[in-house]
Amino acid sequence: MYLKELTELSGVSGYEKRVREFIKDKIKDRVSHIEEDVLGNLIARKEGKTDKRIMLCAHMDEVGFIVSNIEDDGKLCIMPLGGIDPKVVVGKRVTVGEKEIPGVIGYKAIHLQRGDVYTPPKMDEIRVDIGVTKKSDAEGKVRIGDFVAFSVESMVHGDWFSGKALDNRGGCSILIDIINNNIELYYDTYFVFSVQEELGLRGAGISAEKINPDFSIVVETTTSGDNPEFSSYRRSTELGKGPAITFAHSGYVIDERLFKWIIDTAKEHNIPYQIKRRTAGGTDARRIATTLAGIPSAVISIPARYIHSPMSVLNLEDYNNTLRLISILLTKEVQL
Amino acid sequence: MLTDLLERLSSIDGPSGYERDVIECMRKEAGMIPGVFTEVDILGNFIVRKEGKGKKIALFAHADEIGFVLTRREEGNYWRFSTIGGIDPKAIISQRLKIYTRDGDIAWGIVGMIEPHLQTDEGREKVPSLDDLFLDVVEGGERVNTGDIGVFSSKPFSLSEKYFTGKALDNRASCATLLYTLELLNNFTSKSDLFFVFNIREEDGSPGAKTSAYRLKPDLSIVLDVTHGDISIPSMPKIETGKGPALGVGPVIDYGYLEKLKNLADKISVSYQLEPINGRSGTDTDLIQITRGGIPTLLLSLPLRYMHTPYEVVNIRDIEETARLLSYFLARGGE
Repeated sequence: MYLKELTELSGVSGYEKRVREFIKDKIKDRVSHIEEDVLGNLIARKEGKTDKRIMLCAHMDEVGFIVSNIEDDGKLCIMPLGGIDPKVVVGKRVTVGEKEIPGVIGYKAIHLQRGDVYTPPKMDEIRVDIGVTKKSDAEGKVRIGDFVAFSVESMVHGDWFSGKALDNRGGCSILIDIINNNIELYYDTYFVFSVQEELGLRGAGISAEKINPDFSIVVETTTSGDNPEFSSYRRSTELGKGPAITFAHSGYVIDERLFKWIIDTAKEHNIPYQIKRRTAGGTDARRIATTLAGIPSAVISIPARYIHSPMSVLNLEDYNNTLRLISILLTKEVQL
Repeated sequence: MLTDLLERLSSIDGPSGYERDVIECMRKEAGMIPGVFTEVDILGNFIVRKEGKGKKIALFAHADEIGFVLTRREEGNYWRFSTIGGIDPKAIISQRLKIYTRDGDIAWGIVGMIEPHLQTDEGREKVPSLDDLFLDVVEGGERVNTGDIGVFSSKPFSLSEKYFTGKALDNRASCATLLYTLELLNNFTSKSDLFFVFNIREEDGSPGAKTSAYRLKPDLSIVLDVTHGDISIPSMPKIETGKGPALGVGPVIDYGYLEKLKNLADKISVSYQLEPINGRSGTDTDLIQITRGGIPTLLLSLPLRYMHTPYEVVNIRDIEETARLLSYFLARGGE
């Protein structure tokens, strides 16, 4: 499991290099073929018992920002890359650009706020402070177009884990574990670590086109909402109750045969699972499913809390059960 | 190194009423300075005395910081909490809080939020109030109790060559300034009898400073605190970081001593800024002035960005220059 290392890397959508290099280093000696495509997707292959192909896909990117302007006082204006709630950005440490320049996102002190304490900040008034007071000093360190990533130390708390970018380094870690565990694969298995998922599922389709798999499973880290501020009927998953199996999400109803196969396998092996109860949000499955002449796809996710924020949480039992379920599926054949 | 000192002081946790670790840290720092006597009074204020012939001058820097207190257990390991000192809910969301349990263990909690995918239109438009925030105690959930204390867990670091960031720089930056001043005073024969007070509970309404001032009854009190830097406030001069301490001017400040301090600053080329105070300053100064027959007071504030957030920002040179000004002023007996 590489959750801690993976979640501490900066890999904002479009700037996944660090994550890709890390993963490549961990798996390159364990696969029969590895390559990067022009967009930066990382594709690794392990042979199975048949020539039929499965594509497993986990996106490497995380939500973050891009430097959009440098102000006269040296502060950086930023634009979000991916869906970020402006309510979560105040008082956070960030990393800027290839040189990993440290910065903080501050905000007008509470003492100086009048009626606006309960008004969410607007993204265009958020500034990154890199400890300079002049535009020219800032320009010596960063450039317009640099990425801005949250900078958070991850922690393991017994069965729980907290850190940023669990969506979707959780999925990446599971794919690495599967590769390194030397499972007896049934299918010719392609592991795709995709880019730019958070910008509208932009990376995975390119890989699916190239691989032309018989079917695909997307491994994700998903929402939960299982907290006291959120009515239980609105929650999508609950932590500690096993991998979440998606029946449908934004833009794609999961292939029924795959959906049933996954659930039957979980039942057969007494692996706890839950059906994801909300359909909001999409995954690479939507893009993959509509690639070429159509690729049957499914989604299995580790349930998590507070994703798309700098401090998300998952349960390691869920992680292990997700890994177990997918590992078993990969040894089996599905009738399509 | 000043940044090392700032790092040590910012890393220590001590919300109002729970300053013990901070005081212990100060005691260690002050222990390295020759020729001083130290004492912790009955309330927990830490006092460093540097004897000299002349006026009795007391310097104050509050040692406490803002914090949190667990109030009510919800389903599972979720807790409601309240704040010690004023904290913006926006600065609390998605933070990892360190919790000190009654048994002296550490527990960890995450201040949660609703994922954007699940938010309602109504929820999207509004920042939750403190009452609606919740803490997900991911470690030590079975060990925490109502009344346990929490703090931001942000680690301090050098933001650049000139700026330093971390939690509790309000007011550990001033504590560092006083310790540095003590160090600089070794180069002088002081013409004043000096008491450096690292007082408790400023964020809790100043009882620490008031009681120390009562006991010491100094001829002059100098309070060190922080003020909002690099932000425009309507009808106020903009106080900027990197331009020296902000000297308070107004009814809570002794005009005669302020003139002397300004003259000295001009003479030794320390830049300073003037910060008008409309009545009360919101610092320990306000109470000290009206303690035990009245005490002349001065207020020096370090400009600081993003007050009461996990990453407050100060300028290193402001600290150095403030300490330089103070050391001259004290060595000359408040002249």
